Amino acid sequence: MATYIIRRLLGLIPTLFVITVIGFLMMHAMPGNAFEALVFNPKIKNGAALYHRLLAQNGLDQSLPVQYIHWIGNILQGNFGISYNYQQPVSQLIGTYLPNTLLLAVTAEILILIISIPIGLYQARKVNGPFDVSFSFIAVLLYSIPGFVFALFLLFIFSFSLGWLPSQGTISASGANAGSFLDHLQHLLLPALALALPSLAGYTRLTRGYTLQIIVADFVRTAKAKGLGSKRIMFRHIFRNAIIPLVTQFGFDIGGLFGGAILIEQIFTWPGMGELSLNATLNRDYPLILATTLLFAVMVLIGNLIADILLAASDPRIRLN
Amino acid sequence: MSEPLLKVKNLKTYFTSRHSQVKAVDGVDFVVGKGRVLGIVGESGSGKSMTSLSIMGLVPGPQGKIVEGEILLEDMDLVKLSDKQMENVRGNLVSMIFQEPMTALNPVLTIGEQISEMLIKHRSMRKSEAMAKAIEMLRSVGFARAEQIVKEYPHQLSGGMRQRAMIAMAMSCEPKLLIADEPTTALDVTIQAQVLELMKDLRDRTGTSVVLITHDLGVIAEMADDMIVMYGGQVVESGTADDVFEVTLHPYTKALLASIPVIDEERDRLYAIPGTVPSAANFPVGCRFADRCSLVETRCRETMPELQEVRTGHWVRCHLVTK
Ligand SMILES: Nc1ncnc2c1ncn2[C@@H]1O[C@H](COP(=O)(O)OP(=O)(O)OP(=O)(O)O)[C@@H](O)[C@H]1O
Ligand SMILES: [Mg+2]
Repeated sequence: MATYIIRRLLGLIPTLFVITVIGFLMMHAMPGNAFEALVFNPKIKNGAALYHRLLAQNGLDQSLPVQYIHWIGNILQGNFGISYNYQQPVSQLIGTYLPNTLLLAVTAEILILIISIPIGLYQARKVNGPFDVSFSFIAVLLYSIPGFVFALFLLFIFSFSLGWLPSQGTISASGANAGSFLDHLQHLLLPALALALPSLAGYTRLTRGYTLQIIVADFVRTAKAKGLGSKRIMFRHIFRNAIIPLVTQFGFDIGGLFGGAILIEQIFTWPGMGELSLNATLNRDYPLILATTLLFAVMVLIGNLIADILLAASDPRIRLN
Repeated sequence: MSEPLLKVKNLKTYFTSRHSQVKAVDGVDFVVGKGRVLGIVGESGSGKSMTSLSIMGLVPGPQGKIVEGEILLEDMDLVKLSDKQMENVRGNLVSMIFQEPMTALNPVLTIGEQISEMLIKHRSMRKSEAMAKAIEMLRSVGFARAEQIVKEYPHQLSGGMRQRAMIAMAMSCEPKLLIADEPTTALDVTIQAQVLELMKDLRDRTGTSVVLITHDLGVIAEMADDMIVMYGGQVVESGTADDVFEVTLHPYTKALLASIPVIDEERDRLYAIPGTVPSAANFPVGCRFADRCSLVETRCRETMPELQEVRTGHWVRCHLVTK
């Protein structure tokens, strides 16, 4: 297993290389750069000279291949450069913002799993019963609504109308329990829910579908013929098999959830990677754009890797080949 | 005949939906003696599998249901047992093995786990005890490296090995009755012979009664003490295998025997019974074989013949065969 993971990790290197090249080219294809505005700023005397000095300072006067090699060389030494906009090391910025996004994404993942799997299993068990039929309807509804619409609904209901939960930020600025665990949790709940809801509906459908496929399998009949109890058959035989495609899908979706967080973060003014990458792009903050793009790519690849590992862990037919 | 273990009386298993009623098993009677092998033959769709699933209480619901009859295991009527009580019968008093060894085992559990979970359930064994017993069972069905096999997954075994593992599993709680539904149909001929040999050997060693379902009269001749021939959800002929083969009475059984290819006989082409089995959703009023029978008479189409004992222990359902 360990060698398998190492082999897979090494396999990611070429993919990452290609992604950095594409990201680099696309970034430079965007019109303008971080310093161009200075030229037209009437308050700055001799803007053009300053502009050229800044370009030279940041190596932007060199050809693209040279810039790229320079950048990648620095990255390999762990140096992501300094953000033009924030005037801080990029690695330090990511260190501040990434944990917030991870917290949001992981909470959403957990919500998805602990809510959708039991619902899907129960639906499959009582297929075409009243609960199954009504929840299938709800699931399709949830699935077809984009996350940011949920975000607005949730905000409207729970923050503005009922006043139960805060509408923005990660903690309260003041108040008795500002910064406490409960305070964190209250701030986390709505954005995580908004991020989770569409996938959650999708996962109940998947759980239900895979379970129904397995229920009719020959080996389930064998398990019944052995006189096993219905709970054991459900979990040890049916669910244990249905979970294989489910965890695989889950891994693939990790990257997507990360991307989906960008929009949700904006709505809840959640200081995460969404805010960072959006600001970077708007300001043509090249070092930050490259670093955040790379990070998103790494997240997708890690998700795929997790999918493969979970698949191998849950299916001996894969693991032993 | 020995003391009876299982008596099936007037068993009817129907599939009822809004539009139709499929009479998969329609009034079946037979007896399995202690330590005997009963063979069940019949064409596809004649109700062999549904008969055996009825005994196991595994008729696919909610459409499928036993609508009438008794299944007496010693003195206990299995039809009347609750779901929970049936759990203690399945795998414990009566076990079953199926046709498809490739798909009948759970792909994500080891062979050892799949055998031992039965022992844990029915014999209240601890895990380690159950695993030791699983190894012993695998050895008894001819696995030399049983210690490794318990740790392996079904996909690591060949078809024949899987079916032997299935048999080891089915026999692990020392059931009184083993039902095998076409256990060798999916296997190579040489492996078939080994698996049949193994079943016979287990029967001799343990005294377990066996119900063996097959399309293949050769397998019946080889294995069975008694046999029943099924057609259209009914028994059309039953008796000891020797009697049925030597003094074949029912025209359907005769036709089945005639359709076995014989190697040393020069025949232009294989004999096949003309026509097809009538649909179980729409049986004729008279004899169900009438349309395909070369000896058919008017009364055959008008009234259904009864299953009659025409010689001692030899029963036939045909108007033309009498004492
Ligand atoms: N789930 C079901 N719903 C409706 N009818 C069914 C169902 N399962 C089986 N039947 C019908 O019951 C009848 C008996 O089927 P059964 O499987 O017992 O036949 P069989 O003798 O085992 O045949 P084979 O040799 O092909 O296995 C058939 O007519 C079949 O169409
Ligand atoms: Mg069958």
